[in-house]
Amino acid sequence: MGRSSLGGAVLRGMLLTLVVLFFLFPILWVVLMSFQTNETILRIPPSLLFEPTLSNYTALISGKLVTNAGTLELAFMNNLKNSVVLSTVSVALALLLGVPAAYAFARFRFRLGENIAFTLLSFRFAPPLLVLLPLSLYFRQLGLTDTWVGLIWVYQLIALPLILWIVRGYFEDISPDIEHAYRIDGHGWWRTFTRIALPLARPGIAAAGLLAFIFCWNNFVFALILASADKQPVTVGALAFVTASGIQYGQIAAAVMLSILPTLLLALYAQRYLVEGLSLGAVKG
Amino acid sequence: MTGAARLVLDGVAKRYGRAVVLDDVSLEVESGEIVVVCGPSGGGKTVLLRLIAGTEQPDQGDIRIDGKSMLGLGAEQRDVGMAFQNFALYPHLTAYQNIASPLEARGLATAEIKQRVDKVAALLRIGHVLGHTPRELSNGQKQRTSLARALVRGPGTLLLDDPLRNVDAKLRYEMRLELPRLLASFGSAVIYVTQDYREAMALGRRIAVLRQGRFEQVGAPETVYGEPANLEIARLFGDPTINLYPCRPDGEAVELLGERVPLAPGMAQLAGREVMLGIRAEDIEVATEPMPGSVAAELDAVTPLNVRAVLYLRSRDGKELLATVPEDDALRFGRGHRPVWAKLAPDRFLAFDPATGARL
Amino acid sequence: MAGLALDQLSKIYRSRGKQPVLAVDRVDLAAGEGEIVGLLGSSGCGKTSTLRMIAGFEDVSSGTIRVGDKAIQALPPKDRGVAMAFEGYALYPPLTIRDNIGFALLRERRSREEVARRVGEIAGLLEIGDILDRYPPTISAGQQQRTSLARALVRRAAISLLDEPMSQLEPQLRAILRARIKDYLIEHRMTTVFVTHDQTEAIALADRIAVMEQGVLQQYAPPAELKEQPANLFVASFIGEPPMNIVDARLAPGTEGGGLIATSPDGLTAFKVPLAPALTARLGRPDIGYKLGIRPHRALVGDPLGLPATVVSNQWLGDQAHLALDLGGCFLVVVAHRRIDASIGGTVPVRLPPGAMHLFDAASGRALLHGLEAQEAAAA
Repeated sequence: MGRSSLGGAVLRGMLLTLVVLFFLFPILWVVLMSFQTNETILRIPPSLLFEPTLSNYTALISGKLVTNAGTLELAFMNNLKNSVVLSTVSVALALLLGVPAAYAFARFRFRLGENIAFTLLSFRFAPPLLVLLPLSLYFRQLGLTDTWVGLIWVYQLIALPLILWIVRGYFEDISPDIEHAYRIDGHGWWRTFTRIALPLARPGIAAAGLLAFIFCWNNFVFALILASADKQPVTVGALAFVTASGIQYGQIAAAVMLSILPTLLLALYAQRYLVEGLSLGAVKG
Repeated sequence: MTGAARLVLDGVAKRYGRAVVLDDVSLEVESGEIVVVCGPSGGGKTVLLRLIAGTEQPDQGDIRIDGKSMLGLGAEQRDVGMAFQNFALYPHLTAYQNIASPLEARGLATAEIKQRVDKVAALLRIGHVLGHTPRELSNGQKQRTSLARALVRGPGTLLLDDPLRNVDAKLRYEMRLELPRLLASFGSAVIYVTQDYREAMALGRRIAVLRQGRFEQVGAPETVYGEPANLEIARLFGDPTINLYPCRPDGEAVELLGERVPLAPGMAQLAGREVMLGIRAEDIEVATEPMPGSVAAELDAVTPLNVRAVLYLRSRDGKELLATVPEDDALRFGRGHRPVWAKLAPDRFLAFDPATGARL
Repeated sequence: MAGLALDQLSKIYRSRGKQPVLAVDRVDLAAGEGEIVGLLGSSGCGKTSTLRMIAGFEDVSSGTIRVGDKAIQALPPKDRGVAMAFEGYALYPPLTIRDNIGFALLRERRSREEVARRVGEIAGLLEIGDILDRYPPTISAGQQQRTSLARALVRRAAISLLDEPMSQLEPQLRAILRARIKDYLIEHRMTTVFVTHDQTEAIALADRIAVMEQGVLQQYAPPAELKEQPANLFVASFIGEPPMNIVDARLAPGTEGGGLIATSPDGLTAFKVPLAPALTARLGRPDIGYKLGIRPHRALVGDPLGLPATVVSNQWLGDQAHLALDLGGCFLVVVAHRRIDASIGGTVPVRLPPGAMHLFDAASGRALLHGLEAQEAAAA
């Protein structure tokens, strides 16, 4: 059992490389595009060798794009800032509300507990388009259209259910005996929550927070309808590259790269917490 | 021993939905006394400990520690130490920090904490692993750390929830010898929960048998073993399990295992009644020759059991009978599959009512 | 039915980036037809690897496995004629218990009546007759384990392999099931190999036990021989509950009267064991460290000729008494078949008959003598 031949290993390697290439190819292409001018991109036949240029990135960062039709103001950096603010604050608020709620769902048995939890999860099932029209009407009535408060509140629909369900699972995985032992030692319930439950659920909280951040960052529809230009995140802001003088592929590619960067860095940083302490061994087994 | 009991359970009851887990449970434990709560799984033992520790509240009755009622008081307000079956150590803290936790909660100075932790760690021989996290400890070391944490504060009441269950056989035996002496030096009122009758008899000054939410018998180990209150308790205690046969004695003897077996005079009052008659394996004498009053049987297998050996007999009417003899005596029986004669000691029979299970 | 022979069987685990692990080191073992063999040791000793090699789930690194005259180490499991009960039960979830047990018999194309009869018989023996129509996920761990055992035993295969067959068994059922299983194996003359870490279980079932430690076979002998003539300190302290008492000892010089001096862990003299002069001479040098062993029930408590010992604990278990004694600083565990009237802290006499003592070389652990009295005559 498990006698592998050299030929088999080489074949497996080749196959894996092909599969990886297949999936990564679009991303690779976008990376390449971001370093090319529009002319180079649209050249036929397309080639892998070209003269790299940073003009796309400089245009985005400086906010000015020089085209044949004139100079265009690019609000991309502002969009980036909006995305960061919106996602960060939304996730922070969702964690503040969601983590204690997850703890309550995990530890306390109360009537309709499971029903409430499922209702909250069901918010994820509904396609955003479904709720968009009623939501925009309510927002107008409440005067929340195009406000930070309104957007962050709506983003809770995305972030809260996710955090609730993931973190509740992690709290449930902690043996209740550990918390009982801490209480018997003489500590109150708040200290038990902060000193025992939170540290032990940290990998789950990090994972949930990261996932929620990514989903908030990627959201398109809510921001499109409920926000106006100065509050738009990068997802909506990308529309600006479809101009009257043509689609600026190079800038879109560069914009995509810059959009991915924050979430990628966050994932790399949070990775440490995700992997840490998955088998802590304090409970037998 | 002082007059007032350290721990008093008074008519305690607990329900989960419709299921009654504990029903009118009362017990008194004095300082320095070890009472073992023994019983099959599902009997309510863990719930009982949770009620005493304070992580749950009883639906009825009272729990008093040092005369003061604990109703409504949370676990952190009681003077109780507890060691769990699955250790329940804090995974992200070192063994030292685990043991220090109860002292930390009381707000003791760092120097004093260190002194007391070191002292209890030395007693349990884990001083050399205090800097390790639970992941780096062996099962035996985790169990001792769990015990150290429960003991470090010298609590008035100590609860041990089957602490030896998840520890290997060798270590379990050593701890069984060591625990009474260890616990005696702390003077707490101890409730020790186990399913293993040997552990119960070895450790407890008294045994409280908890079955289906009630204490069916509370008494000294030899009493629970020799005079069980009912059939189920007789079956729980003893290895091999007590041999039980439904029959009808006629005063001086009984038709059993295909022959007439003599009974002691004390059983005369059972004449004519349907009873379940029980005889323990160690009260059966087995020989290769017939003896007066013995039953003929076929010896089908010999299975040694540490210092004794279990003889698996089948009577003429096809019933099974388990007898034990000291290890050295078993050698003459070889591998079995031969005729033997078994004498059931007349004065060692236990009689039970077949309907209720109560001992007669 | 046939005999099983393992010849210089070895297993090396190699994984990338780690040192190769020698899990089984040249094990030689032969079981006669119908013999019950136990592989005993703590976790990591190689017993499970050995069993899995016999079954065919692990490749053999070197050595041979023979059933009768046929070498089987190169055959796939299904061609080896072995039946196995797995530690993890491995029951088929969509089949009832009845069908699980009878599965292999049906594949052997036996008649429905015969299958029903045999399944009923084994189920009755293992007390699972009342759950035959249930499904694996709905029954307890103990019942699942018994089902897995029934499935292997009902086949009466040439070789039956059982991996920790009774670890989850309810305590009340252990004694009776061990007896019934042993009876069944003997009656059907089934050559059986089982693996366990519980020496009580090994001693109950096996005709011979192979004690293993770190891949090396320590001793392969019947239980009585393992108890009375352990080959080394490891076997002596592994077998038995309570295990053999082991204390340090050294040879007393002739000027002090000869014999052995047992010492406490602190190095103080605990007690002396007189030896015949011929024996003392035979043992030779007083600079060797020895270990003295005596089994718990061979130490006679209450014997008026005994030495005074302090009682550390006295536990009556219904059919036997276990006492922990302090004899001159040495910790001894003693078992008696009757109640001993002695309170903690009191004194009780205990006699250690030289004929019941075992002598070991402290450095190598090897057993030197079993019984220090009988040697008197032999040494002359």
